Amino acid sequence: MSKKRTSANKATTTKRGKKSQPRSRWRALGVFLLKLSFLGAVMAAIGLVYLDAQIREKFEGKRWALPAKVYARPLELYPGAQLSIQDLKLELKGLGYKFVRSAKEPGQAEFSKTRARLVTRGFEFPDGSESSRNLQLSFAGGQLSGMKEGGRAAHLARLEPVLIGGIYPQNNEDRDLVRIENVPADLVRALVAIEDRDYYTHFGVSPKGIARAMWVNIKAKRFVQGGSTLTQQLIKNFYLTSDRTLARKLMEMPMAVLLDFHYSKDEILEAYLNEVYLGQEGNRAIHGFGLASQYFFGQPLAEIKLHQAALLAGLVKGPSYYDPRRHPERAKKRRDLVLRVLRDMGHIDAAQYGQAVKAPLGIVKQKSLLKGAYPAYLDVVKRQLRENYHEEDLRSEGLRVFTSLDPISQAKAEKAMVAGLKKLEQRYGKRATSLEGSMVVTDPQTGEVLSIIGGRSTRYEGFNRAVDAVRPIGSLVKPAVYLAALQRGYSLVSPLQDEALRVEMANGQVWEPQNFDRKAHGAVPLHRALAKSYNLSTASLGLDIGLDSVIDTLRDLGVDRPIDPYPSLLLGAQGMSPVEVAGMYQTIAANGFQMPLRVIRMVTDSYGQELSRYPFQVQQTVPGEDIHLLQYAMQEVAREGTARYMYSQLPSSLNAAGKTGTSNDQRDSWFAGFTGNRLAVVWLGRDDNKPLPFTGSGGALRVWTAFMKAEKPTPFLAPAPEGIDYLWVDDETGYLSDERCQGAIQVPFKRGDRPEYRVDCGLEPVENKASEPLDWFRQWFRQE
Amino acid sequence: MKSFFNLSTLSLVILLAGCSTQSVYQPAVEDRSTVSKPLPENNSVVTPADPSLGVKVTPVGPSPVIRSQREEVQQEQRTKNPVPVAPAQVVRKQNPAVVALLDTAKTQTRNGQLRNAQTSLSRAQRISPDDPAVYYFLADTHRRLGEFLQAEQVALKGVATASGQNQQLYRLWKLVASIRSDAGDLEGANKADAVAKRYK
Repeated sequence: MSKKRTSANKATTTKRGKKSQPRSRWRALGVFLLKLSFLGAVMAAIGLVYLDAQIREKFEGKRWALPAKVYARPLELYPGAQLSIQDLKLELKGLGYKFVRSAKEPGQAEFSKTRARLVTRGFEFPDGSESSRNLQLSFAGGQLSGMKEGGRAAHLARLEPVLIGGIYPQNNEDRDLVRIENVPADLVRALVAIEDRDYYTHFGVSPKGIARAMWVNIKAKRFVQGGSTLTQQLIKNFYLTSDRTLARKLMEMPMAVLLDFHYSKDEILEAYLNEVYLGQEGNRAIHGFGLASQYFFGQPLAEIKLHQAALLAGLVKGPSYYDPRRHPERAKKRRDLVLRVLRDMGHIDAAQYGQAVKAPLGIVKQKSLLKGAYPAYLDVVKRQLRENYHEEDLRSEGLRVFTSLDPISQAKAEKAMVAGLKKLEQRYGKRATSLEGSMVVTDPQTGEVLSIIGGRSTRYEGFNRAVDAVRPIGSLVKPAVYLAALQRGYSLVSPLQDEALRVEMANGQVWEPQNFDRKAHGAVPLHRALAKSYNLSTASLGLDIGLDSVIDTLRDLGVDRPIDPYPSLLLGAQGMSPVEVAGMYQTIAANGFQMPLRVIRMVTDSYGQELSRYPFQVQQTVPGEDIHLLQYAMQEVAREGTARYMYSQLPSSLNAAGKTGTSNDQRDSWFAGFTGNRLAVVWLGRDDNKPLPFTGSGGALRVWTAFMKAEKPTPFLAPAPEGIDYLWVDDETGYLSDERCQGAIQVPFKRGDRPEYRVDCGLEPVENKASEPLDWFRQWFRQE
Repeated sequence: MKSFFNLSTLSLVILLAGCSTQSVYQPAVEDRSTVSKPLPENNSVVTPADPSLGVKVTPVGPSPVIRSQREEVQQEQRTKNPVPVAPAQVVRKQNPAVVALLDTAKTQTRNGQLRNAQTSLSRAQRISPDDPAVYYFLADTHRRLGEFLQAEQVALKGVATASGQNQQLYRLWKLVASIRSDAGDLEGANKADAVAKRYK
């Protein structure tokens, strides 16, 4: 049975088999295909899961490498501040404030001749938040004389700091992140209307949009419109490479759907607003609307108006083609198109449209943007940051760096430098071609660096002469020589011999210094030798106290580079950079307290959490009495010595102190000097190191003076330390004299110190004060 | 013409010779004195002044220098621009902005926010760098943070700005004493205390 059945079965099978062979093949194929498609589906599912994971990981993780943001110092407003109405305008321009007739909104200011009203934007400072304030300011005599808020007197306000630069990621993408809630509704509407009008209804991909695009393209017989949604554009920029491959195109759609599935429309839009590429400045790529608003309008995004929003939205299609700086007409046409679409869709009415199309593009000049305007300063900031931070963190963690750069001071320094060099070239013609210069300005009381000029082209990001040009400092070294002498028993009236000098050195060379006028001046009091910058007396003084003493004093003043102990050191053969000179003179200006020059106040993470601070640090390295004597002689430099030119321009009450410097063969022209709240070092010279037709006094001093004239600094007024007595001495001889004797001047002496002899002017012999032991006094400073 | 040339060369030589002669000081480049005698030649050596000498009366120089009295001179020629005498003290009215910042800093210090207090005090220092009170509080935050070296130096910077202001000097030296004693330097603390007493 079973056999039969078997055979029958077999027969049937065979019979059927013959008939259904193709069918079975199809079936097998079907099964195979089914399996394959199942496998495909599984693979696709795995792929999707993988894709999904990737999308979520990147979207929820750190989306962008964020550049470090570098800020200038915030301007402090308080009654009594040294701030003219022009200074305030300069600062507000840098911050992109709009000057209007009636200031009502943050970022607006109104001005009359002596008054200003401004509505500040507020800022999250690391030490607390400064809210937006409506301030009424009045000015008088170059000062902020009064400040009111809501009719009541206000004591103190802080403006937001100017963003002066960034440290960009490897890809050079720069962006300022914005939150969707801070983005003007006009911009969102304009962007959606012009790029993806179904954005809020589609599921990441828009078949309607694709169909519309195809129809438009067929009609125009060329590629006019793409059907990509904003979501797809984001996917393309954010996750995929920029190659135009089919694979990429195929990936784009499922990814867009997944992204749309996982995240809200607002989340996706926020990412888009921050991701999109909108312009190029040299190497730097401008990404996101937050930065684009600053880059094109010099304003925060939250403050832009309808016509500006339309322009930014229009740029998405072709940031280079529609670049409003290079192609303003194309940009305007595009902007007006966006406005038309907004009107046609009913987002704006005819009146709004009419007003917006009439508005100019309102693009700020690139030159007026302060970001990137301070390459020399930023260079120093970066060098300091690199000592404490990894390059990668600086480029990607969105750190916030608060510096002490003062844009007002910097602007004045640049003006003084550029105009000064031009004048010198006019005066000296061919002999003064291709002059270069650099400058460092500090606040001598705090050690903060306020401005740095690295070269004549102040915006050129190249050789930073303020730091890297190490040039012989000439007579700028003399204060160290005289200070060393004052610390070793000399007084300001000690007679020095200004006579020809010849030193044979160990290597057989002969050092034979000369005075600038090639004359010997005989015996001169110490203070005058410095004021007149006599070389012979300085050299013999330096040799008398020893080179080592001078080097020790240079160290005490803060010079830490290797110093060559040759006699020519005494006349400034040593090379130093302007920044180093500033550090050295800073100690003199700060009464013997050495403080490291600071460019950075604080670094925080992107949330404002403090990472590091660079606080005010001091160390007294020179006793105040010795410095006081030196300051006297350096004030004489300005009043009666080589820098007396300054008082033809500046008020005598300024009490400035300083020193001119000219290197051998007149290759370098220097001036370093300070007032109460400003210290500036100016170097002029040439990159090819050729001689100049002017000295320190004829060149650098002019620039310094022009700067101080514009800066209107406070006078130098240091109280005499307790161990100092002013005695009347005969100006000519340095002998002790009396107030009632002709030719008598008052000169400071360390207590117990006095001239050896007195003049006779027919009065009772002048009694000297009994000297007091200095020991207890010296103990204060622990220099016993 | 030639004789004129010779004459001027001669006078130049004489002048230069005059420049090279040694005297205590260069014979007056600009002689404003009506009765002063020219200085005779003197081969004096450079003598650094010795601060330890407690001489009561200063002798007239080896070659007496005679000056007229100011009263006798009708009108003194004022071609010079002498350096003014430094003031014994520099006291400015405290700016309300600084007062506000000091108040903030005090509150921050009380709440243990010493770093924020430092930031407020740095702002105050930038506004009023010669106000001893700013250095006093700044030094105190360093002391509280255990940064004794910096605390003392900042206090000494305050001392330098407070010259002539006894009350401020007393407070600052007392602070130096407490910084030193916190740092375990009792001898130094006693010394600072002794200095403080001078200003009480």
